[in-house]
Amino acid sequence: MHNHTFPPDVIASVHELADLGRYEIRGFGARRKVPNFDDLVFLTASASRYPLEGYRERCETRTVLGARHGAHPIDLAIPITIAGMSFGALSAPAKQALGAAANEVGTSTTTGDGGMTDEERQASKTLVYQCLPSRYGFNPNHLRQADAIEIVIGQGAKPGGGGMLLGQKIGPRVAEMRTLPEGIDQRSASRHPDWTGPDDLQIKIEELREATNWEKPVYVKIGATRVGHDVKLAVAAGADVVVVDGMQGGTGATQDTFIEHAGIPTLAAVRLAGEALRELGAERDVQLIVSGGIRTGADVAKALALGADAVSIGIGALLALGCNRPTYPENSLEIDLASDYAALGTRPGECSACHTGRCPVGITTQDDLLSRRLDPGLAARRVANYLRALTMEVTMLARACGKSDVHNLEPEDLAALTIEAAAMAKVPLAGTDWIPGAQA
Amino acid sequence: MCGIAGLTLLDSALEPDLGALLAGMITALGERGPDSAGIAVYHDDGQLDVTKDVGAPQDVCERFAIAKATGYQGVGHTRMATESAVTKAHCHPFTPAEGVCVVHNGSFSNHATVRRRLERDGVTFDSDNDSEVAARYIAQRLKTGDDLKRALTAMAQVMDGFYTLLVTTPTEFAVHRDPIACKPAVIAQAGGYIAMASEYRALTGLPGIKDAKVFEPTGLHTWTR
Amino acid sequence: MDQVTEILALDATCLTTREINQALRALPDGAAVTITEPRGRHNLAVGLASNIKVTIDGNAGYYIGGLGDGPDITVNGFTGWGIGENLMSGNIRVKGSVSQSAAASAHGGLIVVEGDASLRAGISLKGGTLAIAGDAGNLTGFMAQAGTILIGGDAGEALGDSLYEATIYVAGGLASLGADARRTELTEDDVTAVKQLCARTGFDHIDPQNITKITSARELYHFTSHNAGSY
Repeated sequence: MHNHTFPPDVIASVHELADLGRYEIRGFGARRKVPNFDDLVFLTASASRYPLEGYRERCETRTVLGARHGAHPIDLAIPITIAGMSFGALSAPAKQALGAAANEVGTSTTTGDGGMTDEERQASKTLVYQCLPSRYGFNPNHLRQADAIEIVIGQGAKPGGGGMLLGQKIGPRVAEMRTLPEGIDQRSASRHPDWTGPDDLQIKIEELREATNWEKPVYVKIGATRVGHDVKLAVAAGADVVVVDGMQGGTGATQDTFIEHAGIPTLAAVRLAGEALRELGAERDVQLIVSGGIRTGADVAKALALGADAVSIGIGALLALGCNRPTYPENSLEIDLASDYAALGTRPGECSACHTGRCPVGITTQDDLLSRRLDPGLAARRVANYLRALTMEVTMLARACGKSDVHNLEPEDLAALTIEAAAMAKVPLAGTDWIPGAQA
Repeated sequence: MCGIAGLTLLDSALEPDLGALLAGMITALGERGPDSAGIAVYHDDGQLDVTKDVGAPQDVCERFAIAKATGYQGVGHTRMATESAVTKAHCHPFTPAEGVCVVHNGSFSNHATVRRRLERDGVTFDSDNDSEVAARYIAQRLKTGDDLKRALTAMAQVMDGFYTLLVTTPTEFAVHRDPIACKPAVIAQAGGYIAMASEYRALTGLPGIKDAKVFEPTGLHTWTR
Repeated sequence: MDQVTEILALDATCLTTREINQALRALPDGAAVTITEPRGRHNLAVGLASNIKVTIDGNAGYYIGGLGDGPDITVNGFTGWGIGENLMSGNIRVKGSVSQSAAASAHGGLIVVEGDASLRAGISLKGGTLAIAGDAGNLTGFMAQAGTILIGGDAGEALGDSLYEATIYVAGGLASLGADARRTELTEDDVTAVKQLCARTGFDHIDPQNITKITSARELYHFTSHNAGSY
């Protein structure tokens, strides 16, 4: 009989803890099964709700973010952005490819816990600059070059934890950008050095605005924990845009325990965030970006329906670049990578060894030889294809719901397939009027 | 998250101005606490007046004519709501015992557990606010005969998290910060008063502030009349 | 470029922070300006990228001179949190004391405090120089990665906790050392460096031969569970 408390994988992990004397560190987000967008379905056209013609009648996807305090807003063609991922966690060609892809489809990319590289500023027409607790590489020159500023309080993979980059990825360039000795295991701060709490964040936001002449929208990013309170406090502190990252949000390197056991699912987070903005009457003034396990156009559409103005994609973008592909291109051949994945103890389609710096396809590595396996032009085309396909999926679903603008999707367009999803998304269980936990 | 302010007068000639001075301090703290405000004024006849309301602090002060209040000691609080809603009951200052006022800036991380213990001891609460838990714990200690110094030291052993606390009784004025001290506090000691606020900005309207000794406290500081 | 000899005066009582900073940003290199009646105002002279001379005549608030790259700033009073935070280059001198997180994450430049500094002075320092004439609070030099911290008085608890490659010199006593911080041998180069820094800052109360040098023991540079108690 199967042992649910000590199944084989738990036994193996206890053995590993006993052998190593330390916790497992890995990339990607939460692996375990949690309620997610797959548990929701759209109530598309019927006798009482009429669809728009796909491919003919326009469904608007333009998304404008950050105008609350008079900054030049971020004007995107689609409601999908590329999430913050550091140069350091990613290779230079990977950041470059993401920028090029974002340009092609008309969206933004975001720097990460290491600062801005020249390549990514040049590659990406719209670049969001993160201000993190570590402040690695943070400087006023890059601040002025950015199109928006994202103050990071936390991320979904590890709300309350600081960034982490293992020594094998702290090569000369990364070390210089982060003011660290080469090869050390970087452990970032989890709190900002010069403010703690939304009352002092308010003063910090003013500083960043003053340093950039109030020209740039300020985003505040939180990992999904006490979402309702946090969103309200971010708004009170002066955020133009709030970014909420659910527990499925990815990371380049974090303790497995943190990834799996901290934060709430994106499904619950997006509804809580949307409600918080509505309770303040701020849903028109302050925009909401949601991230954490967004994979498909259906996910995007559901996030929008539950209150997001846009979504942010991290892992999906890496997969589109080539993450977990079984081969890499070289001189119009596809070179097989089975042995490279095997050397990492994994297989294509199952790999999350970003933290090792030995990414077989050259994305999450600082190694020159490995980085060269990523062809930035080809990779950029793939990401652009992915984003375009996602957008088509969103508009298809939106049109079927009778919407001429994807931002008109609403919670009433959805039904839930499970009781948990119904409770988390506050959407009725299909076939019933029932929303578990809702006040009568 | 909030702004806190307190003023205890050493020169009785300033008593007619107490309300005006407090109102000025609270207004200056309105940005870090825009949702509600609370003010407590200690009068010479032993009366303690507490005013709490939702709304912008400056408006609350005007609505209740705080600037006209007189007395020898006052405490003020402006609130940016955190883990509990914006209602009058959740406003500081908490007055958990006769003559005792507690205002708090910060976030206690184990308040739910301490609340349950206090409830078992028969203490009742008006809100689900973390600050109220600290206030009622302090009051419980004062009831057993502790002075403010002992009570606050005991509280620090039991309650976890980040805090700058301003606690007053009719004869005591105490400022207490946790060891990590991430929430701000500034104290000004002048000939005529001792003042405390979250930001120096809130103290600049006080008479003789330019000559006052201004410092950032760590740990526990108490003054007794 | 002509040297501007006239000193511009900005009265903070009738200007918003935004107006003050816009006026500062409009000044050419070499200009001099005094801000009067700051009364604890936050964010004065932030993000300046020019070589101007700013005098703040009074007590100021948070992040004064933050994100600067080039200016010369003097505060005739004390300041709040984060004086010169993320400074890239330039000089900041505070005649009074400073509150927490002085010179937080500063990459370059020199920040001089003639009074005392509160907790976490030099936190996350990234190459700048922080010189404190008086005492420094607990957790000074916390996670300081590069640069120099000079303390003319005493240091509080947990000095240099989680220090990387920054160097801390203390003329007075220290209450305790932080995780991975250790006393190191003073070399001739250290003595010379401290001497030069004292000359630059005008500190005449420090004997460069008689100071304690604190650097990282570098034992927390790589993850191992044996260090679990130190994290």
